Amino acid sequence: MKKYIILGLVTLLMSSCAEQITRVAQYPKMYEEKPVAIAVMPPINQTNHVEAKDYFYTTLYAPLCEKGYYVYSPMMTMEMFQSESAYDAEQFIEADLSQFRNVLGADAAMFTIIKSWSRSKIGGKLTAGVEYILRSTKTGETLYRREGLISVDTSVNSGGSSLFGALVDLAATAISTAATDKVVAGRRCTVFVLSDMPEGKYGMLYDKDQQKPAGKSYVKATVK
Amino acid sequence: MKKIVISAICVMALVSCETQQSLYSWYDSEDATYTYTKRGTEETLTKAMAQYEKVINKQKGLRKVVPPGVNAEYGYLLCKAGKKEEGLALLRAEIKAYPESEKFISRIIKQLEK
Repeated sequence: MKKYIILGLVTLLMSSCAEQITRVAQYPKMYEEKPVAIAVMPPINQTNHVEAKDYFYTTLYAPLCEKGYYVYSPMMTMEMFQSESAYDAEQFIEADLSQFRNVLGADAAMFTIIKSWSRSKIGGKLTAGVEYILRSTKTGETLYRREGLISVDTSVNSGGSSLFGALVDLAATAISTAATDKVVAGRRCTVFVLSDMPEGKYGMLYDKDQQKPAGKSYVKATVK
Repeated sequence: MKKIVISAICVMALVSCETQQSLYSWYDSEDATYTYTKRGTEETLTKAMAQYEKVINKQKGLRKVVPPGVNAEYGYLLCKAGKKEEGLALLRAEIKAYPESEKFISRIIKQLEK
């Protein structure tokens, strides 16, 4: 019996952390170009939720810093983008990016396309479909691309099992989903999708993560 | 023997699926900045500034240094709030800590010095 349990555990392990493709094989240009500084472009919003663009813009910054990159403050670059009519990233997604290199000193620009954005009021679940594209300002090439359809559970659990507890949870969830929780959810979505991105100069695994597994280019998941 | 095998599996699980520790401590700075950029009130600015102070002075992340952009953002806001010298010093600190920021931050410093 114990043998089967151990075998089961091993199988579970292998399947949950199965190596499919290495990061160097999936994202070779990241290791060739080694970008250091990233400019976060205003998201391209393909949904009817106008506010999604704003919610999402600031959520890219910290997760990219945590991957070891230098990321220009979105608050400061946003002012510049707006004053120079560059707030619509659509015009740059396939265009020459050398101006971002000349003006900011950026090695790469992170584009995001919000493809879907919905939330359930009762369940407190926010589902975002976002594509992340990192393009080099030097060569214009795509260094990293991944898309995710991520459901983030923003519900609040008071720990109470009574009916009253459930009502408290429901009310708290409604409040939290209405406020900046959307920003938190956006950030979790970004952290999840960018988890297989090779680390930058300041990361602990910089230039050491070539053999780590890369995820699938399209990922669908629910995160808490 | 079985105990050893099981603990080996557990170790393997921890190694292969390790969760990464943060490089930086962010506290509530992102939410505070977001709220400030959306509302732009005195109250939200005060809250955002308190969070910046915390991020700058209480780093418990792996790198134990201020994250990219934070000195610059705080410095920029201080300049806008009239504390020009203090703000410019922080903007210069950003360049010192992150030389790759020089092109952009120098531009901002020049604009603010005008």
